[in-house]
Amino acid sequence: MKTDYEVVYKTHNTYEENVREAFFSFLILPCQNESQVVRSVSWSNSLEAETFQHTNPFGFEAINLHTVEPFNAFEFQMRAIVEKRMTWFPIDGLLPVEEEQRQLQDHLFYLENHLYLGFAHYTRIQEEYRSKLLMREPQQTVYDYLQKLCTFTYELLEFDPEPTHVCTSANEVLKLGRGVCQDYTHLFIGIARLNKIPCRYVSGYLNQGLDLAGSAVMHAWAEAYIPGFGWQGFDPTNNLLADMHYIKATHGSDYSDCSPLKGTLKTNGKQKTRYGVQVHPLQEAEPAQQQQLQTTL
Amino acid sequence: MDAAVRQNQTSEVFANYQIPPNFLDEVFRAPGQVHPHYQAVYQQFLEFSKEEFKALNEHAKMSFFNQGITFSVYSDKSKGVERIFPFDLFPRIIPAAEWAKVEKGILQRCVALNLFIQDIYSDQHILKDKVVPAELIFSSKNYFKAMLDFKPVGGIYTHISGTDLIKHSDGEYYVLEDNLRCPSGISYVLSNRVAMKRTLFQMFRQFNVRTVGEYPQELLATMQSVAPNGIDAPTCVVLTPGVYNSAYFEHAFLALTMGVPLVEGRDLYVDKNFVYMKTINGPKRVDVVYRRLDDDFLDPMEFKPDSMLGVPGIMAAYKKGNVTLLNAPGTGFADDKAVYTYVPDIIKYYLQEEPILNNVHTYRCEKDDDYKYVLENMDKLVIKPVDESGGYGILIGSKATQEQISEFKTLIAANRRKYIAQPVMNLSMHATFIEGEDQFEPRHVDLRSFTLLGKDRQYVLKGGLSRVALRKGSLIVNSSQGGGSKDTWVMTEDNYGMSMQQNGSMEQSMTMDGQTMTMGPQGMSIGTQGTVSMGKPGTE
Repeated sequence: MKTDYEVVYKTHNTYEENVREAFFSFLILPCQNESQVVRSVSWSNSLEAETFQHTNPFGFEAINLHTVEPFNAFEFQMRAIVEKRMTWFPIDGLLPVEEEQRQLQDHLFYLENHLYLGFAHYTRIQEEYRSKLLMREPQQTVYDYLQKLCTFTYELLEFDPEPTHVCTSANEVLKLGRGVCQDYTHLFIGIARLNKIPCRYVSGYLNQGLDLAGSAVMHAWAEAYIPGFGWQGFDPTNNLLADMHYIKATHGSDYSDCSPLKGTLKTNGKQKTRYGVQVHPLQEAEPAQQQQLQTTL
Repeated sequence: MDAAVRQNQTSEVFANYQIPPNFLDEVFRAPGQVHPHYQAVYQQFLEFSKEEFKALNEHAKMSFFNQGITFSVYSDKSKGVERIFPFDLFPRIIPAAEWAKVEKGILQRCVALNLFIQDIYSDQHILKDKVVPAELIFSSKNYFKAMLDFKPVGGIYTHISGTDLIKHSDGEYYVLEDNLRCPSGISYVLSNRVAMKRTLFQMFRQFNVRTVGEYPQELLATMQSVAPNGIDAPTCVVLTPGVYNSAYFEHAFLALTMGVPLVEGRDLYVDKNFVYMKTINGPKRVDVVYRRLDDDFLDPMEFKPDSMLGVPGIMAAYKKGNVTLLNAPGTGFADDKAVYTYVPDIIKYYLQEEPILNNVHTYRCEKDDDYKYVLENMDKLVIKPVDESGGYGILIGSKATQEQISEFKTLIAANRRKYIAQPVMNLSMHATFIEGEDQFEPRHVDLRSFTLLGKDRQYVLKGGLSRVALRKGSLIVNSSQGGGSKDTWVMTEDNYGMSMQQNGSMEQSMTMDGQTMTMGPQGMSIGTQGTVSMGKPGTE
């Protein structure tokens, strides 16, 4: 089964004073992998500045632009058609608990996945909070544990965009008990890593037709490594497995590797930033169009 | 004056010199008796009276002010006061044979550390083989994922290293620290040599001292050697954080002596993954950047997002191979205190050689034997946490109270992995002119050496910065903490007894191993042995 999505990312910034020089870097392109294919992609900016790309440390393409033309408003838009395929869940053929643990404890495995096993600002959890966290039972499989961890995180926090910001750490989230998708994800990652399960931060888009939390802007979820299967996405904000409604852009150790927009500006005044995304399935419309074309031919 | 008479007479500036009982004195071996390689200089210094020496000292100071070699001191009392880095006229002399070993050792260490960094950012063989613990590297804040799987031109990461050495009371050199993050101090080395020549030229010219003045050209050649592929005549620049940086003088000095532009972050920009410099003739592409900016500030897109000192997008340009950065970002995990203890293993691992220079013996509390030793000998050791810098959380056993020691024992027991212990090192001492006392007294010295690694080229500066702890009894040589420096002479050859003198204008005489050779219009004579003919007299 396949679904085609139209993904639109739009940002509109206005500045009180003229911006004399600017550098922007966007990490928003849907990526390609086994479950998704980018059929077409284009972007434009209101300054008509020529853009250029580079590959970030995790292999994802960032779009950059530099301008010295003064401006006080800036718009950037990206539109992509992404074909999303059915994703496989780790239902059967999983390894026995002992074998899973043998792999997770292996030194070479640790070296290979160390970027997803370490603790930094966003993912470190203080000793004092650890007793109330859900840890893996000795005879529990990794997949079973991660599903329960997803539910645990979902139930522990209350969705609330007010108290947290882009720099909020897992420790602060635990203290507040509320947050947004980024906070749910960091907490999930931090706990999974305490169990020596490689876990990474994913930034992307969520189908808006389902009325899920976090779909109005770019969404965040986690991918954890299940021995014998591979990476599986978990969305603790909605207590769901990442399925074909989730369109991935990038992953990294934590938010700092996935920030959608970075920039430096030379200006004096304040700025206002507005941004939003549109993610809609095209599945019904497109085959119909193709049929029409075929009939006219 | 006859040499014999001179030796018996002790000049007033040396009259009260006390040879330190517990430390190695680099100059004196007994009262009034110096080591052979200091004999000639000492004899010269004996000729000066106290007043003459004070005048020379003032002259040397003026040389620094006139060259503009000052640094700013910031504190509550003195806001931005310009000071000179105190310079001592008595040179530190390193015999040629001694230096040859030191130089080999420094180079060995720098090459091995460069290979180590390359391995960590590629295959991580040393971690797979568990020679160095992986957690130690991954937990360092100077280990950059942005550098993984990227190999800079020529495989060089540490183009410029500053290895800090001390001479212990056993007469051996020990490495105290490896500085792999754009170490500073070279401008003082070159300026000290200029001041020495200006002040005591008649004396200096009699010695065959290895030159240091070629350093800027060597640095430029190093930069050019690692230019991006396909660039024949690279544009090189020095990138400074700006005039408020305490080492700004050095940045300007290096740019000037290399003949390359000195730029700030705002003078550069990145477009289409190439780096450009804004000039009055329009943009000019930049190929090699010697950046004297910390990694954190280099690129707000990659590191500290609020830094305005760096160049947005420069890391992406670097990783595309369109610009070379010296040193590579992310070399800091390798000069960290905890990794230091593994450097001998690192040398053996990559070079299959025994380390030439000593490491200060380090006890890792995580090891049972070491832990036991540390607990039993706390009063003789310096205990340091591995992950802190700037002297925080250190316990100096000999100066600690009983409570502090037991408090530290609890700390170590709670996290043995975090602590190392080292014996107190006895930095050697060197005769130094002390203002106010107006005489020579022994003071502790260390030596910062400078090494350049380029594509297929290696260079070690013959000498370095001998830093002096001017405060009596102090072991702290930093310029901000009352430190000074000396010109460091590496001798071309070890003819200890040799000195040369020019009498009047026409006749030169040379004393070698007690014999005097005189050259002049009348020909040449050696001692009382009669005449000897020589091709080119007076070559220095």
